[in-house]
Amino acid sequence: MAGLSEGQTPVLEIDGTLNSNDGNSRGNKGNDKAVVLVGEENSNSNIDTQNQQGGSGGGSEREMPSMHRSGSRPQLDLSKAAIQGNFEVKNPTILLPNQSDDISHLALDIGGSLIKLVYFSRHEDQSIDDKRKKTINERLGISNGNRRSYPILGGRLHFVKFETTKINECLDFIHSKQLHRGGVDSRHWNPGVQVNDNAVIKATGGGAYKFADLFKERLGVSLDKEDEMDCLVAGANFLLKAIRHEAFTHMEGQKEFVQIDTNDLFPYLLVNIGSGVSMIKVDGDGKFERVSGTNVGGGTYWGLGRLLTKCKSFDELLELSQRGDNSTIDMLVGDIYGGMDYSKIGLSASTIASSFGKTISDKKELADYRPEDISLSLLRMISYNIGQISYLNALRFGLKRIFFGGFFIRGHAYTMDTISFAVQFWSKGEAQAMFLRHEGFLGALGAFMSYEKHGLDDLMVHQLVERFPMGAPYTGGRIHGPPLGDLNEKISWMEKFVLKGTEITAPVPMAPSGTTGLGGFEVPLSKGSTLRSDASALNVGVLHLVPTLEVFPLLADPKMYEPNTIDLADHSELEYWFTVLSEHLPDLVDKAVASEGGTDDAKRRGDAFARAFSAHLARLMEEPAAYGKLGLANLLELREECLREFQFLDAYRSIKQRENEASLAVLPDLLVELDSMSKETRLLMLIEGVLAANIFDWGSRACVDLYHKGTIIEIYRMSRNKMQRPWRVDDFDAFKERMLGSGDNKPRPHKRALLFVDNSGADVVLGMLPLARELLRRGTEVVLVANSLPALNDITAMELPDIVAEAAKHCDILRRAAEAGGLLVDAMINTLDGSKENSPSVPLMVVENGCGSPCIDLRQVSSELAAAAKNADLIILEGMGRALHTNFNARFKCEALKLAMVKNQRLAEKLIKGNIYDCVCRYEPAR
Amino acid sequence: MDVKKPASQENLNGNESESQISHLALDIGGSLIKVVYFLRSNGSGGSVDDSGKKSDPVLEGRLHFAKFETSKIIDCLEFIRSKNLHLAGFRHHDASANDKTLIKATGGGAYKFADLIKEKLGVVLDKEDEMDCLVTGANFLLKAVHQEAFTYVDGQKEFLQIDQNDLYPYLLVNIGSGVSMIKVDGDGKFERISGTSVGGGTFWGLGRLLTNCKSFDELLELSHQGNNRVIDMLVGDIYGGSEYSKIGLTSTNIASSFGKAISDNKELKDYKPEDVARSLLRMISNNIGQISYLNALRFGLKRIFFAGFFIRGHAYTMDTISVAVSFWSKGDAKAMFLRHEGFLGALGAFVSYENHGLGGLKTHQSVQQFAVSETYAGKKMCCLVNEDLNDNESIDFGVAFAA
Repeated sequence: MAGLSEGQTPVLEIDGTLNSNDGNSRGNKGNDKAVVLVGEENSNSNIDTQNQQGGSGGGSEREMPSMHRSGSRPQLDLSKAAIQGNFEVKNPTILLPNQSDDISHLALDIGGSLIKLVYFSRHEDQSIDDKRKKTINERLGISNGNRRSYPILGGRLHFVKFETTKINECLDFIHSKQLHRGGVDSRHWNPGVQVNDNAVIKATGGGAYKFADLFKERLGVSLDKEDEMDCLVAGANFLLKAIRHEAFTHMEGQKEFVQIDTNDLFPYLLVNIGSGVSMIKVDGDGKFERVSGTNVGGGTYWGLGRLLTKCKSFDELLELSQRGDNSTIDMLVGDIYGGMDYSKIGLSASTIASSFGKTISDKKELADYRPEDISLSLLRMISYNIGQISYLNALRFGLKRIFFGGFFIRGHAYTMDTISFAVQFWSKGEAQAMFLRHEGFLGALGAFMSYEKHGLDDLMVHQLVERFPMGAPYTGGRIHGPPLGDLNEKISWMEKFVLKGTEITAPVPMAPSGTTGLGGFEVPLSKGSTLRSDASALNVGVLHLVPTLEVFPLLADPKMYEPNTIDLADHSELEYWFTVLSEHLPDLVDKAVASEGGTDDAKRRGDAFARAFSAHLARLMEEPAAYGKLGLANLLELREECLREFQFLDAYRSIKQRENEASLAVLPDLLVELDSMSKETRLLMLIEGVLAANIFDWGSRACVDLYHKGTIIEIYRMSRNKMQRPWRVDDFDAFKERMLGSGDNKPRPHKRALLFVDNSGADVVLGMLPLARELLRRGTEVVLVANSLPALNDITAMELPDIVAEAAKHCDILRRAAEAGGLLVDAMINTLDGSKENSPSVPLMVVENGCGSPCIDLRQVSSELAAAAKNADLIILEGMGRALHTNFNARFKCEALKLAMVKNQRLAEKLIKGNIYDCVCRYEPAR
Repeated sequence: MDVKKPASQENLNGNESESQISHLALDIGGSLIKVVYFLRSNGSGGSVDDSGKKSDPVLEGRLHFAKFETSKIIDCLEFIRSKNLHLAGFRHHDASANDKTLIKATGGGAYKFADLIKEKLGVVLDKEDEMDCLVTGANFLLKAVHQEAFTYVDGQKEFLQIDQNDLYPYLLVNIGSGVSMIKVDGDGKFERISGTSVGGGTFWGLGRLLTNCKSFDELLELSHQGNNRVIDMLVGDIYGGSEYSKIGLTSTNIASSFGKAISDNKELKDYKPEDVARSLLRMISNNIGQISYLNALRFGLKRIFFAGFFIRGHAYTMDTISVAVSFWSKGDAKAMFLRHEGFLGALGAFVSYENHGLGGLKTHQSVQQFAVSETYAGKKMCCLVNEDLNDNESIDFGVAFAA
């Protein structure tokens, strides 16, 4: 689902992903060309891709009105400005389609210890004048007049930290990326442009005052100071509302993500642990009060820790604590009571009676104590204290939830455990501490939110997709510079990393300073492990803002909806799927390399992809919740994302083509065969056909083996012969009753059916298309829902119209329906003589689902699909990814039919207590 | 008042030749041992009530208080032996040998050092519950001793007259090595509702590591001369000198204790021990004040009494705690202190003798008449061994024994 910004051309979006990291280095590509062609902030690689693909979008781009680009940023480009939405709305959003980089891309939170940066990089957001899409949009009632506006530009939010003492590095970073001037892009497109000296950047934190002059001097920008509390709260509210797996609990090393009901979020206590600690009661957006705080915070830990241990950095001090034993420093209840508990008041022997109480009585000096022990003792003292004071304040105001944020936590397991323990201890289990994955960035995010017209306020959880780029497994929760932006850098970094193996101890060589490649990863210091020893380091990915995504409107209970059927919290389950994915990897790499012509470059990228994906797997194996709640769908999607990151746009392209052609060749015979049957028999044959054709799945190891043994049609026929009812899950009779009725009862046909298709080739051509045809014949509108981006051999919404057009050559029903649905606008029509019959047909349409994964998360689908769902009364989900791995337990407001062949023994056993190749035909009436 | 028949009267009467009859109780904490003992006055001329109730023999004398560092327990035992304090403990009816002598004791060390004391003094420690003792001691002091409680604001002590009928409930914060917070609802009616491990032990332990001070009192003394602004990150440091008044913080509020030790390239030795001690004291006092206030608020307690050896009548400590309570309560609550702050537990253990109905001390109405003598003779006497601890006091006492 990566970067499906406007849902217009998947090609562009793929490209956007590749250019991720805001194009901080794209010097090796012909920028000039791009300027000439587009004159807008598209990266040239868009163009490359478009040229390659020859997609319908390419040409139309040139039809875009020539963009006026203003050189000085404060001037808004008001051309084509329009007020969006209902005019009765009090504050209509003003859409500035031509306003691009006037919106500042950077916000800062300059704290006493750390500087946090949030910056934004743009998606390409030009609208493609796609006739097919236009027709569909019209039919679905999507028009610019009454659809909600999208003032938010698609794009990505990046999160970066620097130590405040190293503010110069931070300034260099901003300068190298030109973030203070709207990002690198603007310079590329307009090299001669005069730099505006009055640029203003939103900033918060005490340092926004302290360093204001420095910023002015070094970058020529003024800092617009935002109130710190305002920012904290705005940031926290945004995260809690917009990011699904933002909050989690952490007890005894176990992390559990908490689903926050955004309607029941307030009031809550926000505890921000920076140098000091602020406790804020939050009652709503912009409604909050600082109710308490403590001066014993992160600064105390680091300050005292530095004095006592000589550690060079905060992280070093934290690291030390992991090997500490505080019983040499702290006076425990047991020390006082001679090893006994003081159970009368609920204190166990290991309870700390007095922090540092043991350093009293001994004759020892500071040098006689282990720094590890001191660090741990200090950490416990401070965490425990914060937990206690927080709980007391929550109690005081009757707040149910306490969220802890701020840099002190840093995803450090022990810190979180200690705070959680304190809260649980003092509340006697009634309150729970919760943590935020983006803990350090609340203020910076809030400052970013304070820009007007960024539109983030309206952003909903379903419009955000978090991506973990290649560096994620390596960077952990540490302070690090920007991710490497350029593909070449990524590959060479990966090669170097692998070359040195586990011996790497120094940071990766970075591009020479002053270039756009500044920054890099901080490689784990611990020798012998590619991963951090602190199992709880949380990774913060890049937030992709995809304003066009919506919640699928037909979900019966969106709040309770959980896409994943398989919970990978179960470690054996996790291990199994990791093994499956790892074993499948070499084959996938071969396919991917071949799809790019098998060149040396492709091989290099293939290797890098394999390593990067393996690193992700290893990281997740060690810490399953590293990237948020982990389900199988996330894992499969991560793989596709990773492929795209290394510019494998469509690894199965040629296989898909071959199979589509082979299947289309036998389709006419199949249709003739079907038409000769009675209604009842035909319906059974159609469902059988869908199940049989679903065997063509390159995502299944078992099936890949099968392919070596026969041709497509042979396998299809063999498979269909095996489809003897009863199937393992068999609601066919109920479905048939609904379709055909019995006796005098003639049920009305469905109004509109959404068919979620799966694989290319036989699956869609011989399975789903004939089923679609049957529905059309009954007068039901059919919407084929396909992937926006390629994933394995899944058919995409881009490919589907051509297939339908080809099939339509041999079938009048399909032809007329496709015509009515606007699918044949560009294609060769009327080649059949049956065209003389011109009675109007119900339409056959194709929409993209907003995904680039073999699974589908129905909380985040394209607006197109959401619109198409409006009038639908039947959903057919087909294939393992969409009907079993995800959505098997999903309930819908309308009727649903879930069809799949189980091509995995373990899944068959687990899900349906059956065997491999068993079939599922689950029919669920409307809820 | 309910007056019990003293079963051990023969002890008292039988030993009339002895000029003094002693009672001893101990509170053996993690850092300090507190000793309370009773010495009978030599000339007890004023022992008869004017009312003429001569049937009630009133034993007059003084309660003495002494402290020792727990690490120097041997000194403490020597002190007890030298004064024969252990011989006058409560005995069983059929006591025939010294090894049956029981001494009331409380604090964790009553368990830990039981064997040692048995070996050295030949007495058995009768362990009293620590909380019971604390509360009993505090209730005793607040009711029986005139001008026991006081507030401390801007360096000014102000003694408070506590209305005994309006004493409960109150919050008792005992700051020893750790901190216990106890909600007291009446005599023997109390609950430990909270506490914190950041207490006197933390101050002394961290202080020792950071300053090389030789004693707790030296550390306290140092803190007096320090300036915490060198080490603490103040609100003003963050906001470039301007106040963050929106949330009620002024530029001199501490934003982060020890927060300045981060950014400098200084080592520990580059900081003055005075400043470090000051910073530490403020951190801990402030924290205790805050947590105490939050707990008082939670249970709707009007009064918070702070006690325990951490305070030690140290002005700056009391001031910081007072400021913290006042700050967090926005002036609604005031911290109160007890003059005998360090001896609650020992006093409670001492008072607990009466529970056995033997040789019990009864706080008599006349106690208040005797009140407290700041200039009693025994003041220095009882801290011969431990000269560091010079703030020991004694209370003149009337002890009534029922006929």
